[in-house]
Amino acid sequence: MFFNSIAFAIFLPIVFFLYWFVFNKTKSTQNALLIVASYYFYSCWDWRFLFLLVFSTFLDYYTGIQIEKGKSEKSRKFWFWLSIIVNLGFLGVFKYYNFFASSFSDLLNSAGIKASPILLNVILPVGISFYTFHGLSYVIDIYYKRIKAEYNFVDYSLFVSYFPLLVAGPIERATHLLPQVKVKREFDFQMAKEGVCQIIWGLVKKIVIADSCATYANAIFDNYTSLNSFSLILGAVYFAFQIYGDFSGYSDIALGVSKLFGLDLLRNFNYPYFSRDIAEFWRRWHISLSSWFRDYLYIPLGGSKGGLWMKIRNTFIIFIVSGFWHGANWTYVVWGFINAVYFLPLLLSNSNRNNMDEIVLKWNFDSVKVILSILYTFFLTCIAWVFFRAKTITDAFLYLKQIVIKRDFGFQYLEPDRYNYELIVLIVLFVLIEWNNRNKTEPLSGKNDILKIALAIVAIMAFGTFSDYKEFIYFQF
Amino acid sequence: MKSFLIYTGKIILITILIAIVLDGIYTLVFMKSKDRGKIETVFNSNAENYDVIILGSSRANNHFIPKMFEDKGIKTYNYGMSAGHLFEASLMLKLMIERKWKIKNVIVEADLNLAINHRSESISSKFLPYIHNSVIIKDHFKDEKNFNEMYYLPFYRYIKYESKIGFREVFFTLIHKKTSAVQNLGFYPLEKHKNGNMKNNIVNLNPLAHNKSYEEIKNMCKANNINLIAVMTPMCENVKGMDYFDKVKKAYPEIHNYENAVTEDKYFSSCGHMDSEGAKIFTAKILKDFFNK
Repeated sequence: MFFNSIAFAIFLPIVFFLYWFVFNKTKSTQNALLIVASYYFYSCWDWRFLFLLVFSTFLDYYTGIQIEKGKSEKSRKFWFWLSIIVNLGFLGVFKYYNFFASSFSDLLNSAGIKASPILLNVILPVGISFYTFHGLSYVIDIYYKRIKAEYNFVDYSLFVSYFPLLVAGPIERATHLLPQVKVKREFDFQMAKEGVCQIIWGLVKKIVIADSCATYANAIFDNYTSLNSFSLILGAVYFAFQIYGDFSGYSDIALGVSKLFGLDLLRNFNYPYFSRDIAEFWRRWHISLSSWFRDYLYIPLGGSKGGLWMKIRNTFIIFIVSGFWHGANWTYVVWGFINAVYFLPLLLSNSNRNNMDEIVLKWNFDSVKVILSILYTFFLTCIAWVFFRAKTITDAFLYLKQIVIKRDFGFQYLEPDRYNYELIVLIVLFVLIEWNNRNKTEPLSGKNDILKIALAIVAIMAFGTFSDYKEFIYFQF
Repeated sequence: MKSFLIYTGKIILITILIAIVLDGIYTLVFMKSKDRGKIETVFNSNAENYDVIILGSSRANNHFIPKMFEDKGIKTYNYGMSAGHLFEASLMLKLMIERKWKIKNVIVEADLNLAINHRSESISSKFLPYIHNSVIIKDHFKDEKNFNEMYYLPFYRYIKYESKIGFREVFFTLIHKKTSAVQNLGFYPLEKHKNGNMKNNIVNLNPLAHNKSYEEIKNMCKANNINLIAVMTPMCENVKGMDYFDKVKKAYPEIHNYENAVTEDKYFSSCGHMDSEGAKIFTAKILKDFFNK
């Protein structure tokens, strides 16, 4: 059941009605309803995945309590590592085993040793990377005594399985979401209105921007050998907007839906393509994952405390692990590595925290510098996205090589009657709207909201891509 | 909560209004369309006279050269449509007859498409803008599984088939951008492909004993005194299950088997489609056999 499906358009009002009109007596009834709705939502992909979700939830719930209750350090450590190993074990088996087995086998074959890997015939359970990280952060926080263990299983289950964030985040923290599910929610008209605006804007991003860009990006990436430099550059730009529209659109819908139930989720995107350097980009892109890696990997590894080389080492580690988190393919690892390389000059010049302020443009030279730095950061991001999108690392290199060697910047047919440049106006319009609203969560709420919503609906209906249905990209992770 | 329900109600109402308005605008644009495709051209046409009308799929569109007919003084147009099925061919003929076209002969390519009774989603969608303006189209679609949504939900059909009749198509129609579909009197010549697929497996394909659309075409021709010439068109050398054409002949004896009219792969662009040279040879044979020209 996707957020942009008819099924979800039926499911959401039903749950909303039951939540505020039938199960609204206590927070327990509210939570119980959301749990049932969440499990139903998840089972729509494959009911068998539910067992894994419930087991994972129970494991972290139980180990969390045992860690807190543990009288000796040895006992606390035991429960802590049990949770970590089992959680990562699930990820390893479902997400990475086949990749490692075939990579190892390829390595042996290339060394002249004949080997055929034993592969598992398993489907990757949707959302496993996200709910596993929920559970991990919870257990780690208890172990380091940052939070108390949750003794109410229903409340804890809701923290892990809450349907708006279940399949593709944002990756919530117990410190943020658990206190909210511990109290009865009262209906807040303003919050619900904002939620509706965020849902509609998320749909614009997904249906109008991401899915339209996907049609063109796919046509270009799948036939890159026969296309000219201009088409290939556009292909990279289209993919950049596809993945942004897709994932931030999903996050907007998730946050908007959650607001309808009176629950505030962590913001995941903050106009990342307006970043002035790559460090700022990573403070604005997939914020919940970036901050997760910062708090649970970078800082435990020593962060920046051990001097420059330690900082560089740790930066490379978190980016490579982050790339690998996305999927079991070397292209993601290289994508992470490239981003770490981008970080290097900032680390060496100690300027990775230079652009913490808001972007303000005036009619002066500094503003030209800001615009150029935004464009340069976007350019770097697009190069990295080529590796993220390409099927293999070789394809990515060849794609970039073709841009340089072909030097043909003419308009080109992608298929009969479809040109490479058709989406440029749409993207420029989208960028202008986001730019003018960069200080808000989304552009629709506020003054004249009904008019802006009407225009957004026109955009969805008239410019949206419906016939070539595309799943949310991050559901596969 | 009351305020929120009113707010949501407003948004739903606005959505419905937008759907109705957009539906009206899109339909209006398609009602004026002429140069974009064959369906629009026929729908928006007045009475016309033709000696020969050609119907069928891409195996008609790429195989019959109307210019060769015209050179012999036979007024001809190729209304074959790539990816089209007989469902759409039948509807085209219905529209022509409704518009009082005087047609002496209809050549229908009836071979592989006889195994299919359902509509081609991509081609049939191009009739949908006119569903409220034509009883013929409405009736033709009334047994289709999503007819109610397509007919009663405003703008649904434009969303569902957005790649065919969505904004891009409306925009190109508005600026009168021509397509190749209506050039060369409807014939679309194919070039020889270096890597054209010269294999086909039709072992599991069987002509339906009663193809509804084909029967409709037959009956319409009979009722309107149109001479129907049904033909099977050539395929490349390397086809598994070539006895399909014998099965067609057995089920529909009136269909002329021209599968062997051109056999050499050098005349094919892909296994089911001849290149322009093959089309010339094939069209010449048809002219000679049916029109003594």
